[in-house]
Amino acid sequence: MEGSELTERRISREGLLKLVAAGGGAALIGGPSAVAEAARKQLEQESGRLQVLDWVGYEVKQLYAPYLKKYPGQKPKFTFMTNEADALAKLSAGLKPDVVRPYVGYVPDFADSGFFQPWDPKLIPNLKQLNPSMVKAGQYKGKQWGIPQDWGFDAILYRTDKVKPKAKSWGLLFDDRYKGKIAWFDDLNALVWAGYYLGFKKPYDQSDAELKRSQNLLKSKKKNVRMFWSSETDMQSAFASGDLWIAYAWPADWVAMKAKKLKVAYMYPKEGAISWIGMLMLGKNSPRRQHAHAFANAWSSVQTGTWLENNYGYGHSNAHARPTSKDLISALKLNTPSAITEPHAHIDRDIPRRALYARMWEEVKAS
Amino acid sequence: MRSRLATPGLLGLPLVWLLVFFIVPIGIVGAYSVDALHGPEIFAQAHTVSVDAWTHFFHSSVYLGLFWKSVKMSLIVSLVVVALAYPVAYYLALSGTKRKYVLLLILIAPFLTSYLLRVLAWKVILGNNGVLNSFLAWTGIRSADHPLSQLLYSRFAVMLVLAYVWIPFVALPVFVSLETLDRRLLEAAADLGASRLQAFLRVTLPLSLPGVAAAFLFVFIPTVGEFVTPSLVGGPSGYMYGNQISDLFSTGFPDWETGSVLALFLLGVVTVLTAAFSRFMRIGEVASS
Amino acid sequence: MDVALSRNARRVLRVFFGSLVVFLYAPIAILLIFSFNDSELPSFPLSGFTLRWYHEFATNPDLRAALETSAVVAALSSVGAVLLGVLASVALVRRRFAGKTAFSALVLSPLVIPYVVFGISLLLFFHAVGIPRSILTIVIGHIVISLPYTILVLVPRLTQIDVNLEEAAADLGAGPFQTFRWVVLPLILPAVVSAWLIAFTTSFDEYAVASFVVGTRATFPIYLYGALRFPSRLPQVIAVAVVVMIVSLIVVVSAEVGRRIVERRLGTAPG
Repeated sequence: MEGSELTERRISREGLLKLVAAGGGAALIGGPSAVAEAARKQLEQESGRLQVLDWVGYEVKQLYAPYLKKYPGQKPKFTFMTNEADALAKLSAGLKPDVVRPYVGYVPDFADSGFFQPWDPKLIPNLKQLNPSMVKAGQYKGKQWGIPQDWGFDAILYRTDKVKPKAKSWGLLFDDRYKGKIAWFDDLNALVWAGYYLGFKKPYDQSDAELKRSQNLLKSKKKNVRMFWSSETDMQSAFASGDLWIAYAWPADWVAMKAKKLKVAYMYPKEGAISWIGMLMLGKNSPRRQHAHAFANAWSSVQTGTWLENNYGYGHSNAHARPTSKDLISALKLNTPSAITEPHAHIDRDIPRRALYARMWEEVKAS
Repeated sequence: MRSRLATPGLLGLPLVWLLVFFIVPIGIVGAYSVDALHGPEIFAQAHTVSVDAWTHFFHSSVYLGLFWKSVKMSLIVSLVVVALAYPVAYYLALSGTKRKYVLLLILIAPFLTSYLLRVLAWKVILGNNGVLNSFLAWTGIRSADHPLSQLLYSRFAVMLVLAYVWIPFVALPVFVSLETLDRRLLEAAADLGASRLQAFLRVTLPLSLPGVAAAFLFVFIPTVGEFVTPSLVGGPSGYMYGNQISDLFSTGFPDWETGSVLALFLLGVVTVLTAAFSRFMRIGEVASS
Repeated sequence: MDVALSRNARRVLRVFFGSLVVFLYAPIAILLIFSFNDSELPSFPLSGFTLRWYHEFATNPDLRAALETSAVVAALSSVGAVLLGVLASVALVRRRFAGKTAFSALVLSPLVIPYVVFGISLLLFFHAVGIPRSILTIVIGHIVISLPYTILVLVPRLTQIDVNLEEAAADLGAGPFQTFRWVVLPLILPAVVSAWLIAFTTSFDEYAVASFVVGTRATFPIYLYGALRFPSRLPQVIAVAVVVMIVSLIVVVSAEVGRRIVERRLGTAPG
């Protein structure tokens, strides 16, 4: 429709020229048709750039190219979160992002926090293309709180030329034979995968006795660990320089090490890898609802999915996205999204006693 | 009577600033440590003022053990730094070299460059395939398959990097205290028949001790609470008390109450140390006069 | 004969000094090398020469934004620290008042507080009072940190200035502000500039306290630390850090040299 396109272009030019705030009744020539008028009102009301709270590395424009096509010149403004707790802290401190990306285990907490509102699926056409079980994982109390995007695993990366695992198991992270060559992820979920190794039924909700056992195991095997990594670069550069042979890692790390010509394998433990799904959530009272939905829609596109899979090695929830490399597909199970569900893997989920897990993990680090 | 800018006018602003943004915040940490105030929570919980966090701190062996570990590491770093900086400062101050200020500046300048990047540079040097190990492999001293891997992500790495960071800084106060030394004292000692070594031990060293003590303190105190370097090169074994404090406020699931207790304990120890040192230095000055 | 050092001792110490300097500068030189290294991860062996990191840094808007933020924070906090520092220094040197020891202990005490404790105390303070974290909160923290340094530079210089000069000016009818503006200030100006530079560089490079009170705009050190989280960012950051380090080295060294020259010429009398 030419009318609305014209107004769109006029509005983005105004945005670029940074005129007096829209809504001040500035010299916008009234659109001739009612539709153009409605569209103009909508866009006029939604002024300013889209505010996104996301993880470092996801601000890359190829990941939301359709959004930039639709709203040229309106690049979203990114603030970075280091983890979900940090995101919550920023929200409590007054940050008002339109879109945030927590991971699936935090969706219930975030939904209850009062900082978010559910999405309107009708405004996200690409939602139909997304993997149904992942979409379901983003639902809470009957509403669509999270739109699934990137997915992948937490598993074990190791050097095939240096390491011979006794079994495909989380136990490789405890292996005394490779003392000083192992890296764990610095997160309280260590208690979870320790719990899987110990064979507990519900590692996300362990009893006090089970937690003590998991904690003791971690404390006793800490001596084999060379680093607790919280930054991928740290872990990757240590791996690349030969300081590490075994690491708790994400698929992108396997991709990066292969690119460095190292002989590595990404091992899925028999007790089940941990899997995760990144969920886009919508800020409560977001003044840019239309833009936010468009952003989520752009992220959900095949274009984005393919780029993500090819470049970061993470899966994408869009069932039609196909990466180009066969190695990538087989190593990272990119064509089998069901691989992230039970019994193959354990989707990261809410931990009812997260505060206790946190304290016990801090004690492991301090001991 | 001439008019002059009244003292309250001068003192007012700095005093208020420090009271509001330095003293009061510390008091507030105290409030958090007894749960009179609490950090952000998703679900509101009941809070009552209590010293539970303090009791837990003193009864659990974990925190005090970690603190003691950090103290030991800081002691080693501070002693090494002072031991290395002293000869250099001595050389600059007392050898009569013409360009001493320029040389001093060259010595201090690295301290003015980016701290984080200097730490990162060491990560590159100490890694299994880093400068040091690849040099050892190239010269055949060690085979390439057995690099020195205890260098990085260890207590050693933390202490080495911290020493590296602080040496330039420490050289300055030691230099100043040696430069203000009256050379005539040394000449008098020589006239009385003392050897250079004796003059050093009996005259120079004692007189420079206040400067050395100040330098020691200036390294020791920040180092005990260090968390940035350990987080970058320390690994699990180089984890220090400051890391625990920082973690309790930022990662995973924040626990502001316990974090406040740890922070106040550190502050208390530091305050006691500073007070003790300044009394020692005052005594030292009185004794030497 | 030299009463402090024998010729042998002098030789040994000279070598020691030289080795220490090499030790201090080697890691910096290594960073310089890696800023030209054609690889995303800084590890040996080297992968070839490239200028692309410098180019990427120049075109990375987030990195530039962080540098700008740090510049703004440093500019504001250094001005604040110098202002407060001048006030406090004049009070300490030229005035007698009760509690002078306590006051000087107070203004110097930020030197001895571990930054992790100070950082969280500010975090908790702002949270309790309800002030959102922002550039302003970082500026506030940095003023506190830099204040002792400015005082340590200004007080010695003020002590050197003959108080008779000020009294003479007053005798000639100058008010206190005039005396300060026309007599004292010109004489302490090099020290003021020095103090300002020290405060600026301290703030620009400061990570620990800033990490606790940062709002939504990252400062350069925070960006730097965060860049360690994503491999592709690291080489650019090394490139810009090399630039920042060299610039700050040149600026501070020449400022210090300049200060000494100017002060020698100024002596303790103006004009």
